Amino acid sequence: MTDTAERQMELTLPMVEDIEIAAARAAGNLAREVGMSNERIDEMTHAIIEACINAREHSGCADKRMYLRFVGTSEGSGNPRLDIWITDHGRGFDPQQARSRRQQLGPAHKRGWGLQIIEAHMDEVDITTSPEGTTIHMVKLEKKS
Amino acid sequence: MSEELRVAVDRRNTGAVLYTKGYINNVGGEEIANRAYELMDGGVRTLLLNLRETKIVNSIGISILIEIIEKMMEKGGKIAFCCLTPVIHKTFQIMGLANYASIYPDEETASRELDLTT
Repeated sequence: MTDTAERQMELTLPMVEDIEIAAARAAGNLAREVGMSNERIDEMTHAIIEACINAREHSGCADKRMYLRFVGTSEGSGNPRLDIWITDHGRGFDPQQARSRRQQLGPAHKRGWGLQIIEAHMDEVDITTSPEGTTIHMVKLEKKS
Repeated sequence: MSEELRVAVDRRNTGAVLYTKGYINNVGGEEIANRAYELMDGGVRTLLLNLRETKIVNSIGISILIEIIEKMMEKGGKIAFCCLTPVIHKTFQIMGLANYASIYPDEETASRELDLTT
């Protein structure tokens, strides 16, 4: 039987300029507590930044807030994991359409890369979206199984 | 909260090196663009961006860097980058920036390849 350490944090942040840095720093501190390496934290940081920017720029939510939850776990054998949920109460979007739009535009077009960056830097990404809002759940692992 | 980007310029014989410090977001990207366009208007056609003291970028900031590269290409010049963190390098590759600009591991190598001597 292995011991499991767990750390949790919940934040409600206003959708203001550069707030994504506060979110990423908070997640980074928690990830360090459960033993995640700087390289993995750096990747996770960039994914969180893009997720927060997407919420701020595109959600169209009335309350102008985003709701974040971080859960860090570390098993006794040493495999830190961070689960991140970022929620907005905006209008939702079609993730498939967002991905295909990026592919149609091609590399010469400069905007709309957030989702691709998130998926490249995280180990698991799951998006739940409806006209009532969007939650993106991202997982960062120290070691892939 | 503010994450202001600072940019320093070092003019060289045939071009210039821009040193960035801080977060390259929309504001930081515009700051780099302003300095780059001033240099381009002054005749600079080789520009190296040293990102040694930049640890975080976002997609909006990178999109502005791509615009700078496009403008320099229109003028027949070139832009290169050096001293990227692994995650910034990976993000540049995802967004296709690495297709339009050379990326060097350090300033010494970049300066030699670009003939940017002091």
